[in-house]
Amino acid sequence: MSEFSLWDIVYNLLLAARWTVLLSLTAFVLGGLVGLLLLMVRTAGNPWVIRLVRGYVELFQGTPLLMQLFIVFFGLPLIGLDVSPWVAATLGLTLFTSAFLTEIWRGCVESIGKGQWEASASLGMNFTQQMRYIVLPQALRIAIPPTVGFSVQVVKGTAVASIIGFVELTKAGTMITNATYEPFTVYGCVAVMYFLICYPLSLFARHLEGKFRHVAR
Amino acid sequence: MKQFFKTAIAAVAMLAAPLGAASASALDSISEAGVLKVAVPQDFPPFGSVGTDMQPKGYDIDMAALIAEELGVKLELVPVTSSNRIPYLNTGKVDLVISSLGKNPDREKVIDFSDPYAPFYNGVFGPADFSVEKPADLAGMSVGVTRGAIEDLELTKIAPSDVDIKRYEDNNGTISAFLSGQVDLIATGNVTAAAIIERDPPRKPEPKFLIKNSPCYVGLNKDEPELMAKVNEIIAASIADGRLNAIAEKWLGIPLPEKL
Amino acid sequence: MAYKFDFGAIVPHWQLLFDGGILTTELTVIGAVVGVGLGIMGAWARASRAPVISQIVGVYVELIRNTPFLVQLFFIFFGLPALGVKLTEFQAAVLAMIVNLGAYSTEIIRAGIQAIPQGQIEAAQSLAMNRVQIFRCVVILPALKKIWPALSSQIVIVMLGSSVCSQIAAEELTFGANYIQALNFRAFEVYFVVTGLYLVMSILLRMGLKVLGNFLFERRRHV
Repeated sequence: MSEFSLWDIVYNLLLAARWTVLLSLTAFVLGGLVGLLLLMVRTAGNPWVIRLVRGYVELFQGTPLLMQLFIVFFGLPLIGLDVSPWVAATLGLTLFTSAFLTEIWRGCVESIGKGQWEASASLGMNFTQQMRYIVLPQALRIAIPPTVGFSVQVVKGTAVASIIGFVELTKAGTMITNATYEPFTVYGCVAVMYFLICYPLSLFARHLEGKFRHVAR
Repeated sequence: MKQFFKTAIAAVAMLAAPLGAASASALDSISEAGVLKVAVPQDFPPFGSVGTDMQPKGYDIDMAALIAEELGVKLELVPVTSSNRIPYLNTGKVDLVISSLGKNPDREKVIDFSDPYAPFYNGVFGPADFSVEKPADLAGMSVGVTRGAIEDLELTKIAPSDVDIKRYEDNNGTISAFLSGQVDLIATGNVTAAAIIERDPPRKPEPKFLIKNSPCYVGLNKDEPELMAKVNEIIAASIADGRLNAIAEKWLGIPLPEKL
Repeated sequence: MAYKFDFGAIVPHWQLLFDGGILTTELTVIGAVVGVGLGIMGAWARASRAPVISQIVGVYVELIRNTPFLVQLFFIFFGLPALGVKLTEFQAAVLAMIVNLGAYSTEIIRAGIQAIPQGQIEAAQSLAMNRVQIFRCVVILPALKKIWPALSSQIVIVMLGSSVCSQIAAEELTFGANYIQALNFRAFEVYFVVTGLYLVMSILLRMGLKVLGNFLFERRRHV
């Protein structure tokens, strides 16, 4: 006789879902900051920097997220840092997010016509001013739909963090399944909760895509 | 001249002093930090599992609490799985591993073991309609086991070649696989199987045969003689004054055997 | 306590990584072929004249794209037996990958189909081709060619996603890494090496898909 009623299951899953949301937000914001930084240095044009950033992106896009988390989780303590699943998950997911976001934003910046760069240069602007006042604002508008779309991937990525022991929605599901012997119900609830978090984001991204479709290219 | 020698000897002595002090021992850093970090299971009843409040409880948790109390420090429980408990210890994430840890030569190469603190038999378990009495009867069946656990290593040695041994990342996975019928049988601890039966599961892990008597030990990092001595002292004291017996009665339902 | 790296400890267990890599490849190939096939059917259904079929496929696509692959895998492997459907870990892993890729490909291919100029279809209709013929000859190949890069990316993503199949004891590459780590306790070294292996595999896969795309779509040029 399991001690968990359906309400217990849902309640405990909801509690764990808070961590999913928190991890997603943290990784998304921090990843965005790192991605923006990488974008700026890459756009500046130094060929070595471009190669480095391209290698960084290839690394994170070409390896499983699970492996990235394992390496952060087992690797950081070796250089003396004590790492909890929360820190490892945040760091791993941040790096992962930064690589994808910088690549998405690169495409958007590159679609800004050369004429914009030339016009702003002829007004005497330096690189930072060009980026800040002319290029980024325009690129931002094009970037919003795919960025919001990627946020869904970040939320789904938090599920992998369960494997390194971070107690978020999926891990809670695994633990409750073994306490209740009802995998169909429990994982069903888990799936529904992820859906409730992700679907609105997907819809929002699609709505934004529609709004920006008529942006002049 | 005399002054020179005195200064020289004083200088050498000052340089040599750090060599003598070396790095702080684990016991010292625990006392200084005021916290004992212990790796415990949360997917292996009755040694460690979770209740509706999602807090860990079990034999190993009580053992950890006892040791922390004796050391006069706070207890910090770190839930682990079979596959990451030893790396956690080696990388200093935890001070002790109290996670139904069994001893074997491969593990002895990387960590040290205290005296035993809990009885534990590994065995193969499964529903009544699978008639298995010895390893040879396993032919053609599938057995779920947690990767890297003593059951895994021992079963691999004695199972016939056509047994399908499925290794899961952690006990959660192994137990889930057994309960959903993904594997016919499960190799795990006797008390774990009993704890599962007690909860009226869809498939009952009844004992088929026992693999090995493998009591539980506390795992420590190598080269920590003071911590080892202290832990062994606490274990011996708690056996003598009956506290360990009370824990055994509470979680295993049987008194502590005479000789662990 | 200084940690001494020991990459050599992995070498005696190379067979586990090799076998794991083979299984990852098997899962990816089957998953990709059947998944893309499912995607073509799904894209066809989305354009179907019966709105019910289009909506059902739409629900399937949204469900899959808004839930994590790991949860889909657990549901198939641990949850379905409750309904009497018990799959082996290989079957469950492949099914999860097919279902997952199928949903994403449906959307990707649909976008490709929508980009086919209406004029092409009208021209084919004026040649008295029926819907199936039009789809087969005029629509699907140019559509696939257009979205091939996006589809290739998605296939690579699914290949990398196969690493979580280790959680249901599918003995692919990550499982091999976990197993070796459980034997010699050299977690960092093993995961470092296996990450490198995945990187090589994803680069090879991308190159292979590019060559395949050229073979499938460029050949028909008669200039």
